[in-house]
Amino acid sequence: MELDTFIKHFEDAVEDLESGTLTPETSFKDLKSWDSLAVLTVTDAMDMEYAVTLRKADFESAATVVQLFEIVQSKLTK
Amino acid sequence: MCNDFVTPENWAFTSSTHWPSLKSMPKCRFLDVRITGLVTCVPPHEKCIDDELELFGGNMQQLKRLKKTIGLHKRRVVDADTTAADLCEQAARRLIEETAVELAQIDAVICVTQTPDYSQPCNAAVLHGRLGLLKDCAALDVNLGCSGYVYGLWLAHTMIASGGCERVLLLAGDTISRLVHAKDRAVAPLFGDGGSATLIERSAGAPAAFFSLQTDGSGYDKLMVPAGGARQPCSAATSLVAEDAAGNIRSPENLFMDGAEIFNFSITEEPKSVTELLKYASVEAGAVDFYVFHQANRYILGNIAKRLKLDPAKVPMETVERFGNQSSASIPSAICGELSATLAGCDSAQMLLSGFGVGLSWASALVEFRDLSVCELIDYTS
Repeated sequence: MELDTFIKHFEDAVEDLESGTLTPETSFKDLKSWDSLAVLTVTDAMDMEYAVTLRKADFESAATVVQLFEIVQSKLTK
Repeated sequence: MCNDFVTPENWAFTSSTHWPSLKSMPKCRFLDVRITGLVTCVPPHEKCIDDELELFGGNMQQLKRLKKTIGLHKRRVVDADTTAADLCEQAARRLIEETAVELAQIDAVICVTQTPDYSQPCNAAVLHGRLGLLKDCAALDVNLGCSGYVYGLWLAHTMIASGGCERVLLLAGDTISRLVHAKDRAVAPLFGDGGSATLIERSAGAPAAFFSLQTDGSGYDKLMVPAGGARQPCSAATSLVAEDAAGNIRSPENLFMDGAEIFNFSITEEPKSVTELLKYASVEAGAVDFYVFHQANRYILGNIAKRLKLDPAKVPMETVERFGNQSSASIPSAICGELSATLAGCDSAQMLLSGFGVGLSWASALVEFRDLSVCELIDYTS
């Protein structure tokens, strides 16, 4: 699981988020387009791409894109 | 728990390896039971999300995204004087008229609702009286929502297959619009109202109907009305509204939904439930004519259909954008609203019905619709 691929999936999942907007250190919750709808679409994307279920607590505990990536990665190895 | 029901005539075949193990609960198979008609009644008053920009703080961009992605559009809501029982009653009267069933022939009335007229007596008893059903008629409520119609069908099949009933009147309806807070963006634009009536009867030679029922009670708090029951009776405190972190306003007496958790639950359990039921019934996915899911919202419906690789033409999805999420009435509403002409024009249709949501509860049924006396959607008239 590659970080840059993860970032692409994340960007594709959130509407109005242009490709290349995110970096590993982006505080995704500060994005203008981050709302409850974005939570749904990113959850969906992570399930479809990685068969990983993200819960509310996962989004709450991750502040940056790379932290969310690490959470997804940890669920992959389980 | 339910068992694998059989008729005495084919008991001899029950020991064959075709029959699923009695340990494969709670999947069931019924013979000689048929759905003969259904009617759905919707309130005439329509709300449209385009008129609710203020609810989204004037954020047209957000409103457009919700319309495009979730599929929010229109919904039908009752006025203050109309209840789910009223909608179900009108649907029942139309059903009785069109099927020409005599009241004396109805052996049981089941009412699936989470918005009854009273905490007691049950809606079924109230409607039993209003419809003039006879005393030799069972009446009971089923307190389920999104999965409720399929659970209600299963219960009707069970009552008939056991030999206790010849005909069961299944009423399913809710007025969730009366439970949401108008300023709760998470739920107010989603939910509409509806009531339905379905007649199920014993019919020799009717094709097998298959059901599966599931529950995850650990998720009970993901979609609920916290106050108003015995656990937390209504009080001055429970009537107080509060704003959550997302800016949604509600009190404990209003419906609360954890959208993310409900989404996760839906995409995790629904495809599995459908796939397992088809396997149990030994039916190929392609042999099903229509997949009628609980009309939660277009995003969830599309997602489930995508995960199951279903032909979109087989998956009704317009009902939720016309009438909103109608809880227990959503499946009959989709059948009556989107498929009545198609069903009238064909000899039979293999239908997979699947409801999922509050409880958390979910259920699927594989039933053949054939020779329906009526399949109609009507507007409520007060």
